[in-house]
Amino acid sequence: MRFWEIGKRNLKEIYRNPVLLGFLLGMPVAFMVVFCAAAGGGHSGPIAMSIVDEDSSQTSSAFIQYLGSTEAIEVNQPIYTETSQAQEDLDEGRISFYLLIPSGFEQAKQTQQTVNLELAYKEADPMLGLQLKPMIEAVGSEFLGVAPPLNVELKGTESEIKNLAVNFYFPGIAVFGLMILISTAAEIIAGDRERGFLSRMFTTPARPWDFILGYSLPFIPVLIISTLIYLGVGMALGLTVVGNLGHAFLVFFLIGLCAIGIGMIVGSLVKSESQAGVSWLFIVPIAMISGAWFTVELMPSAIRSVAEALPFIHAIDASRAVINGSSFSAITLDIYWLLGWAVVLFAAGIGLFRRTMVS
Amino acid sequence: MNAVQTFGLTKSFNGLVAVNGVDLEIRQGELFSLLGPNGAGKTTTIRMLCCLLKPTKGTASILGHDVVKQPFRVKRLIGVSPQDTILSERLNCWENLALIGKVHGLSSGKVGRRSKELLETMGLMERAKDLVRNFSGGMKRRLSIAMALISDPQVLFLDEPTLGLDPQARRAIWEHIAELKGKKTILLTTHYMEEADFLSERIGIIDEGRVVALGTSQELKTNLLEMRSMVVSAEHLTGEVMAALQGKYSMLELAKEGVRISDKDLDFKEIVDYLHSRGVIVHSAALEQPTLEDVFIQITGKRLRE
Repeated sequence: MRFWEIGKRNLKEIYRNPVLLGFLLGMPVAFMVVFCAAAGGGHSGPIAMSIVDEDSSQTSSAFIQYLGSTEAIEVNQPIYTETSQAQEDLDEGRISFYLLIPSGFEQAKQTQQTVNLELAYKEADPMLGLQLKPMIEAVGSEFLGVAPPLNVELKGTESEIKNLAVNFYFPGIAVFGLMILISTAAEIIAGDRERGFLSRMFTTPARPWDFILGYSLPFIPVLIISTLIYLGVGMALGLTVVGNLGHAFLVFFLIGLCAIGIGMIVGSLVKSESQAGVSWLFIVPIAMISGAWFTVELMPSAIRSVAEALPFIHAIDASRAVINGSSFSAITLDIYWLLGWAVVLFAAGIGLFRRTMVS
Repeated sequence: MNAVQTFGLTKSFNGLVAVNGVDLEIRQGELFSLLGPNGAGKTTTIRMLCCLLKPTKGTASILGHDVVKQPFRVKRLIGVSPQDTILSERLNCWENLALIGKVHGLSSGKVGRRSKELLETMGLMERAKDLVRNFSGGMKRRLSIAMALISDPQVLFLDEPTLGLDPQARRAIWEHIAELKGKKTILLTTHYMEEADFLSERIGIIDEGRVVALGTSQELKTNLLEMRSMVVSAEHLTGEVMAALQGKYSMLELAKEGVRISDKDLDFKEIVDYLHSRGVIVHSAALEQPTLEDVFIQITGKRLRE
């Protein structure tokens, strides 16, 4: 249990350091308060749109093609034929919204009757619905050759959510906030390496995994407390957790582990004075492309692919889905992805430590 | 079996040779010092023996275990007090000792007993519960040595154990180290010749990565020093007498206490008798004790602290 002893030492070094402790625990509170207060947002760029084609006619296909040809919209494949399937995916958080082309669409066009389109979205993401409405109205009117306004009915899925903005922004903020663990974990390792403390410990029979575990362990209580603070302060500010709180906690815990793993790697590679720079070099762009601050549906597909390979977007998506009511089965893939990353990062950390121990 | 054995131990960093073909044989229970100026290769040698650096060439073993092939076996046998006193600053003495002890696999009970013993021996018991960040340099150094001893290692490495300490603190540490003589194999590095002289059974003088002389302090002084000196304080030392002395002995120089006469075959009695015979009143005459510094200058042509 060598790692346990190293972990105990590191935990004491953290909780007896008031500045570090204040930073680690004060950050989540400050973060939540500021971000929730400033909650708001806007969209730009192409929007990935799911479509239910109940009409299945030549006209509806042409309309879908027309929608996809506009710069503002990217059509998700496959096209749903059943509303129930799309609604289930929406409820489970697999899609953010869908446009329903009802049966009778072709006929309505031919007979110059009122065309009804329905935009269904989660009320947890109200900005998206409100922004899409005028866009679809404009594109639809052009296609149908009728003067706007087109009759696009907004249909938000009922939810118990009290403060929509808080629910929308919370997962991103919490995940971004947990990413400060990258910087703090890196700082502690890099500091000990430079002061020679690690060298001293390397003369003992402790193995590389003892160090990785010993340096990660003290961050587990920090991670648990931070997550509880995020959830607690979030809920006090109006966050409604519709789904299972435990599942949300699990997602935050796993992404926290990934952050600690990255911290271990940064800490074993760079000097302590440059670690802050290097850590934030990771944190800010990753947060930006992972949907911490704005939805990824609006980003170019290349950037989205990068974001999707990384663990953060999965944490944000999964926690957002759980908070807004999705079941565990809807986030299973994200959980596997996060677990996989945690394992890879810790294995890489151990490998690096093995190399650092003898030069 | 020797406690420490090296053959042609060499380490170079980017082509710069820090340790160059060092051969050492340190017997079990021996206190051996590596004496040399800063940058001579002492710490690099110790770091290779502690499995922190891979030798570029040559081999090293601790109690028969190769430092490259069996690092974790070696690490179980050694205790190390590094040159920079590296402690966990936000831990107290007990906690620092427990960390190293338990990482070495000692039980809580054993760690407690040994910590108590060591804290008492090192005179740290009164401050044992204080965080070490508030300690003086001497106290930190004593704790660092105690940490190296907590696992009851068979071979102890002390890298510059008194570096930067005031004479009183240095003396206290010497006493602690002296008490370990015969009980542990100790490899100590220092650039203080008094330290090597006072503590060691054998000394290896190291310069520019090479061990240039090896032996007991006495052997080094008698075998390697070509000249001996005496200082005479006297009255009526006329120019004529001085000229005669100068003609007979290799070196004559004025010292603070009188005149220093140096020669390879210096005969104390012969000189005093000669001075008496020339009517010189000798107040005092003393043979100068050679130091390791003299040996170092003799071998390398430079001073230890250069």
